[in-house]
This record gives sequence, C-alpha cells and structure tokens, in this order.
Amino acid sequence: MATNFGLAGQSAPPAHLAVRGVHKSFGGVHALRGVDFEVARGEVMALVGDNGAGKSTLMKVLAGAYAADKGEFLLDGRHVSISNPNDAAALGIQIVYQDLALCENLDVAANLSLGTELVKPWRFLPRILRPLDDLQMEVKARAAIDKLEVRTLQSVRAKVGGLSGGQRQAIAIARAVGAESSVVMLDEPTAALGVAQTRQVLEVVKRLRETNHAIIYISHNMRDIFEVSDRISVLRHGVNVATWRTGDTNPDEIVVAMTRGLNDARADAA
Amino acid sequence: MLAPMQPEMKLSLVNRFRALRETRFGAFVPVLLALAAIWLYFGLVLPLYDVATGVESEFRTVFLSPRNIYNLFMQSAVIAALAVGITVVLLLGDIDLSAAATAGVCAALLGVLVLSGIPGWLACLIVMAVGIVMGTVQGLLVAYVGIPSFVVTLAGLLGYQGLMQKILPTGNLNVDDPFVRGFARVLIPDLWGLALGVVCVGAFAYIVLRKQSQRRKLGLEQDSPLALWGSVVAFGAIVLAVILTLNAYRSLPLLLVLLVAITALLGWITTSTPFGRSLFAVGGNAESARRVGFKVQRIRAAAFGIVGLMAAIAGIFGASRYGSVSYTAFAGGSLLLEAIGAAVIGGTSLFGGRGSVWNAILGALVIGSLGNGLDLTGASAADKLMVSGAILLLAVAIDALSRADAGWR
Repeated sequence: MATNFGLAGQSAPPAHLAVRGVHKSFGGVHALRGVDFEVARGEVMALVGDNGAGKSTLMKVLAGAYAADKGEFLLDGRHVSISNPNDAAALGIQIVYQDLALCENLDVAANLSLGTELVKPWRFLPRILRPLDDLQMEVKARAAIDKLEVRTLQSVRAKVGGLSGGQRQAIAIARAVGAESSVVMLDEPTAALGVAQTRQVLEVVKRLRETNHAIIYISHNMRDIFEVSDRISVLRHGVNVATWRTGDTNPDEIVVAMTRGLNDARADAA
Repeated sequence: MLAPMQPEMKLSLVNRFRALRETRFGAFVPVLLALAAIWLYFGLVLPLYDVATGVESEFRTVFLSPRNIYNLFMQSAVIAALAVGITVVLLLGDIDLSAAATAGVCAALLGVLVLSGIPGWLACLIVMAVGIVMGTVQGLLVAYVGIPSFVVTLAGLLGYQGLMQKILPTGNLNVDDPFVRGFARVLIPDLWGLALGVVCVGAFAYIVLRKQSQRRKLGLEQDSPLALWGSVVAFGAIVLAVILTLNAYRSLPLLLVLLVAITALLGWITTSTPFGRSLFAVGGNAESARRVGFKVQRIRAAAFGIVGLMAAIAGIFGASRYGSVSYTAFAGGSLLLEAIGAAVIGGTSLFGGRGSVWNAILGALVIGSLGNGLDLTGASAADKLMVSGAILLLAVAIDALSRADAGWR
C-alpha cells in the first residue's frame, strides 16, 4: 500500500516546488539527513512526523529562515537557491507561523497590507511619509477575504484583537496568499482552535487548493490531515519514511510510520 | 462603524464602552467626559454651592470666564507640546522620562544663545536641532544597544538635569528676545482668527465628506451619516467656541495656533503614513513588524528624535510664555509627570499600540484644568497632588478596562 517516495513522485502531478537531498545540522545534531520533499500546484501536501522528526527544520529551510547545509531546490524544474527569507518571498514561498504574527491593535485591512502599504503617489515625499491609500487597502483586503470566503468576518475595519482564532488564522493565511505567493506553508493552523473554527480554517485551505496554490500543511491532527490533504509525507529522525496518497492509506498506518518507521512496521506486520 | 464584531455577544456596559472606544472618534469620549466633568464642577457646581451656603452673594463663575480659559490654554500649552511628543514613543510601548529635562536644556540653551546676540529665529532652529540630537541619541541606545527605554531615559533625565544646571548656574535666566517672546505675545486679530477657524472646519467637513463619497464609489462599507455629521458638527462647535471665547478676552494667541498646527502634522504622520503605521505595528507586535520588513530599530530611533524635537518646542514655548527659563519650571519640577499623565489621561496606552496625539492635547487640558481650578479654590499643593494622582489612576484604569484582551476576563 505504501509507495516509495520516488514512485509517488512519478505518479503525482508535476512538482511545483521540490527539494532533493537536504541536509541540515545544528552543531552535533543532524536534523535533516538527505530529505526529499515536493509539492504540486493545486495540492495540499501534509507534512507529518513525531516531535523532533525535522518538520519544522524542513519548513524553515524552505522559508529561508535556516540555510540548508546541502541540497537542491527546484521551482518548476528550475534550480533556485534559498538562503534567506527574502529569497523565499521573492520565489513566492510564504509561511504562516503558528503564532500568526498579526498586530491586534490594527484592523484587518491594515494587517493584510502590513509592510506593503499602498501609498498615494506624492513623489516629493519619501515613501514612509507619503499618505496611506486607506481605501485601496480596504478594497484589496475585501478582495482577499472574499477570495478565501471567510463569511463570518463582517468588516475589514474590525480590529484583529476582537476576532476569533479561526478568523485570525484566515487573515494570516490571506496575508500570505496576498503577497503574490504560489507556495503557502501552514504550521499547525488548527492547533489552538475549536471544532467550528477548525472547520473554517480547513475550508480556507481547500479554497487555496482551488486557486491553484501549492500548500504545505503541517499538523499533528490526523482527522484534519485526512480531511484536507491530497498526499501525506512522513518524516522520522530527519529522513523520509514515505509519501502516500491520502486516499490510499489510513490514520493508523500513518501513525505507525511516524512512530516506528516503515521497516519496523513491516517487520511487525510480517 | 459602531456595529459590534460579534452580534450574538450580549453587550454589557463594559463591552459597549469597548466598542465605543474602538471607533474612530470614540477614543475622545472618555477624556472629553472627564474634561466636561471638571469644568462643570469648577465652573458651575462650586459657584452654586458658594451661593447656596452664602459665601458669595451672587452667582459668579471665575473658572469659566474667558480670561481664565485663555490662561488655562496657555498654561496647558507647554504640557501639551511635551505630551504630544511623549505620545509618539508611548505608541511604540516605550517611555521617555527625559522629555522635560530635554525641554529644560533646550530652553536654557535658547536663553543663553539669545543673550549672546544670536537672532531669535536662528537660536530656535539651533535649539530644535539640539533637541532632536538629544532624543535620537537615547533612541539609538534603546534601539541598537537594546537597553530598555525606561533605563535609558532615566539616565537621560538625570544627565540632562545636570546639563541644564551647568548651562544655567544661577538656575534662572530672563528671556527678552522679541522673536522668542512673540510666540506667546502675538495675537491673531479677532476676525482673522475666526476666519482661520471657519476654514479649518470647512476643510475638515470637506475631507470627511469626500472620503465618504469615495467609499460609496468603491463599494466599501460606509460610516453612518449620523456619526459623520456628528463628528463635523462637534469639531466645528469646539473650534468656534474656543476661538470665540479667546476673542472675548484677548484674541487667538499665535502659540496655540502653532501648537495645533504641529499636532495636526504629527497626527497626520502617525495615522496616515507608512511611518505612522509602523509605529502602531511595532507597539502592537514588534516581532510581526520585524517579520513583515519594518526597520524596527530605525523607527525606534526616529520616534525618540521626534520626542526630542517636541521637547525643544515645548522649551521654546515655555521660555516664550514665562519670559524666563528656570530650573524648577522645566527639568526639576512636575512638568514631566504632568506631560506623561496628560498623554495617558488622553487615552494613550502605556503598553503601546494605541493612542493619539490629539488625545494628548485633551489630556493636557484635563491636567491644566485641575491645577487651575484647584488654584482658584485656594487648594493647597498637597490637595492638587492627591487629586492629580487620583485622576491619573482613573485614566489608567479606564485604559486597562477598555483593552479588548484585558487579562481579568
């Protein structure tokens, strides 16, 4: 039932972002030992593994927060290098961190344009002193929110501090998507949410798939993963265990692969 | 605009109050209420009480007389200029304890410069540059060396107090330069003042209405017409009432026009430019501001530079109004605490990310009115201190209650 990484790769849609043989050490700790990973457009790739398996390290390498010691990066088959967050952003790779990094004292529109504020073209002033184009930012925010179909959000002028956890997650995702991105990485997006809020976030993830983004979804929650993902890639001790099509596997198999690895699991089965 | 975020949420009094504070002009409500209460007490209740108990034979309100209002505004102007500056660092979640001492150094330097024959306008420019440098140096220490602003500016407070004493060994210096004195002495002729007020109200109404029509065109949510016209009418009423009252005694002083103009400029910068947005972003969540690419360190340093500039302006205003520079009026007195108190009473959060320079002006009026009113009733310095403390505590309590994520929930 399980397939090797390479086989799944061949039968899968062509990869949008792919990495091969990524190594990363922190001092004596070899966190990633030749990891392969890929994600296609219009696909949700779940990345799972036990604590310390290297998920976060891999994600931060992809986001440019860590520079890989060794490894190839391919975007649409073209070799690229990612050595800092700006490289990743320029390639359209965006990450939504678990803590979301929203400013609760600002409204939704301001948060969505944070750092990329639209200004009126008053050329005689330096950019940081040009008047903000509030209305256009609201239009942009409205469009981004509508695209993700966050229906519970009434006003883009609402302060983020007054919103629910699911709405905040949706806004953080909308911000990542708004920045001309093609790859969106979500780190435990439903970890702190209740049932209804989780549902809302999963709907947003599905919308992202429909808009042809490549989504990397990191989670511990098997139910969410099986609801939303197309493929599941398991890491263990910094190496690939395997990649499954979600429809071809079940949560028990994934949990066994995460905790004991494939060979052990087969040995047990035999 | 007033619609609560979660309609199913039952609106308790506190929640209603929070929703109100979240609106654009709602933040003015608490401080305006405080101001109204103080004016009502000193202007109406106390005189009536005196009549009722037979202390006075007829009703006479000294506090609300045009002459006293004029003095009140002039007394509050120095506190207000300082509070406006301090608001900018408070937005970042930092504090500047050295602002009053900086104002003192700048005023003392101004006095010495004009005494040595340097023309007043040049001396003012030099002093403003010095203020910016004094503020920015502290800002650099906070931003790049990473020392908490409380400590840096506490050191600045002590150091600048000493510096002021070095510049003014006698502790006192008269300033007679006509240019410097002119800020407080020059009065705008009655009609011109009124015309200026009408133009301001017209411009305010035009901007508000144009924004509304642009919103309609872009299909964005609209402010309720009631809130819209309410804000225009309230703004107009306050501006014209102030100008007419000042005209009834003397005229609109240049000092107040300058103060309002500078505040308007800073208000515009803090709310309507990417720099201002970055101030709020850093105050709200410094880490996320850094991640989206704001240069947090430069922003911090610049904010302290602005406080330095405003402190220098406060120093110039003070020298102009008193006609002298003294150690106790600036660095050694209660000016610093009054200015921070004014900013906080105005509704600017000490935790960063919320506030406005306009509220600092209103907060300064609250502090000024308290001092003035208690003086008129012959209260002792001890009473003044205790009442000011109580008002400050009340203001911070309101701030804590109106924060959406207050910890006690």
